[in-house]
Amino acid sequence: MSHIHIPDGVLPVWLVALGWVAALALVWLASRRARRSDIRRKVPLLGVVAALVLVAMSTEVVPIAYHVNLTVVAGVLLGPWLGAIAAFIVVVMLALLGHGGVTVIGLNTLMIATEMALGWALFRGLVRLMGRRRAGPAAVAATILTLALTTTALVGLVALAGGGAAGARETGALDPASLSFANPFSGGIVSVNTLRGAETTAAPGLSVARFAAVVYTLGPIGWLIEALVTAAVLGYVARVRPGLVFDGASGAPARRPAGDEGAH
Amino acid sequence: MDVRSIDLSSTTGTTGLHGASAITKLLAFACVLAAVVVQQNLFVVLACALLLIATVIGFRLPWRAIFALAAYPGLFALVFAFAAAPDPITGALFVTRAVAAALAAVILVFVTPYPQIFAPLQSVLPEVVGDALLMTYRSLFLLADKFERLRRAVRLRSGLSHGHPLRAAKATAGAMGSLVLYAFDLSQREYDLMRLRGYQGRMRTTLPPARSRTFDAALLAGAGAVLIIATVFRVSGAALTPYSWLLPAAAGTAVLLTIAWRLIRS
Repeated sequence: MSHIHIPDGVLPVWLVALGWVAALALVWLASRRARRSDIRRKVPLLGVVAALVLVAMSTEVVPIAYHVNLTVVAGVLLGPWLGAIAAFIVVVMLALLGHGGVTVIGLNTLMIATEMALGWALFRGLVRLMGRRRAGPAAVAATILTLALTTTALVGLVALAGGGAAGARETGALDPASLSFANPFSGGIVSVNTLRGAETTAAPGLSVARFAAVVYTLGPIGWLIEALVTAAVLGYVARVRPGLVFDGASGAPARRPAGDEGAH
Repeated sequence: MDVRSIDLSSTTGTTGLHGASAITKLLAFACVLAAVVVQQNLFVVLACALLLIATVIGFRLPWRAIFALAAYPGLFALVFAFAAAPDPITGALFVTRAVAAALAAVILVFVTPYPQIFAPLQSVLPEVVGDALLMTYRSLFLLADKFERLRRAVRLRSGLSHGHPLRAAKATAGAMGSLVLYAFDLSQREYDLMRLRGYQGRMRTTLPPARSRTFDAALLAGAGAVLIIATVFRVSGAALTPYSWLLPAAAGTAVLLTIAWRLIRS
């Protein structure tokens, strides 16, 4: 499911705040881990892989409104720690484009970082099990498993949020039963209705079962497309430059410009 | 999402919003976002959205691109509302909130270059994150261009036909594979260039001063007023709710007056 397509103001404040705190802690920890090695080399790599994910997200693979995310590819290339930083960057950029909500940046970061880390771990484990020649099938299995798990995490998130404060709404002059308007001035312009007030309704909460039914129905089509594209991309790169896929781009032997030897 | 058109508008635009200080615009955005997010009254959120529409029209911003981008999360919110909202009013509230929040974010990026938005973030984020944000912004254009050329080449060779989705998917996946390799080489070249230019692990971004302090103050006051009104409606609960429809009525009138004013001026 990759990033949460949940708009701002739907999830309760405590959950959103918790997401921000956890995501910032993860990004801080990841940047501390990244500092242990040559940080300057990581910056362009991080930027380019984050941009790659953004380009992929803005492209329809087949004309049925599904877009790929390449989060597993990014995870395989960057590893879990740099992947967490890339996830944060991608989510910030997406939020600025109105795609994903600003308040849910924290939760979105956790979701994409989980996807990258899970994809990385599963792909490496499966390649070890099946052999390097079967990188494509390993990528398909890793992607489908990863997306199934993160989609379940998303349903869990909505279940956690269900019935929270953000689900409440005020009906004002609108009758929620008949969806018809009542004249709020029927008893006078200022005094009567202002003192009497109107109905405030606590909504019965988010429908988790219906939400799960929708995402588990639409989701598998997306998982399959993402898995096939990921397999094609990783299979192609594994054939051309196996080191990038099996050792990770951040661990690949770096090229030094002439005269720059030993400058690190 | 066409990032290039956003960048063009934010860097070459000459409106008052373009000239305002980035910090002011970020604060105003935060006020409007808070007003939308905390609000549980559909009419108040609708009024915020209408005011943002009036802003787009009033400042002659590229409305087609802005409305298209803001409608995209509305579409997902509609699916979410269908899937999870307990009743139509809550569903409508979800969609209106999503569109209003997205409108505010999209207006911000259409009038503020990305590096100016990232500059305040850089001061609070770890350096690797702040620098990588700027590198992502730079790489995005290069990769988007490269991917477009690759897709064109693939279309000419094998066809990206809507009638053959499997062939289209295979061709796009091949183009993405090439893009991954290009991206990795690009990161190596970027690193070499940055080293030659003396990069020591910190990119500095300077913020230009505001063109008019009066405009900045007015912008902040306007956004603050929106937040205060939304908070008053939120805190007062049922007392003011019957009159909340007056807000979208007033904001709708503002939209119509802005359109009329624009038509007369043009």
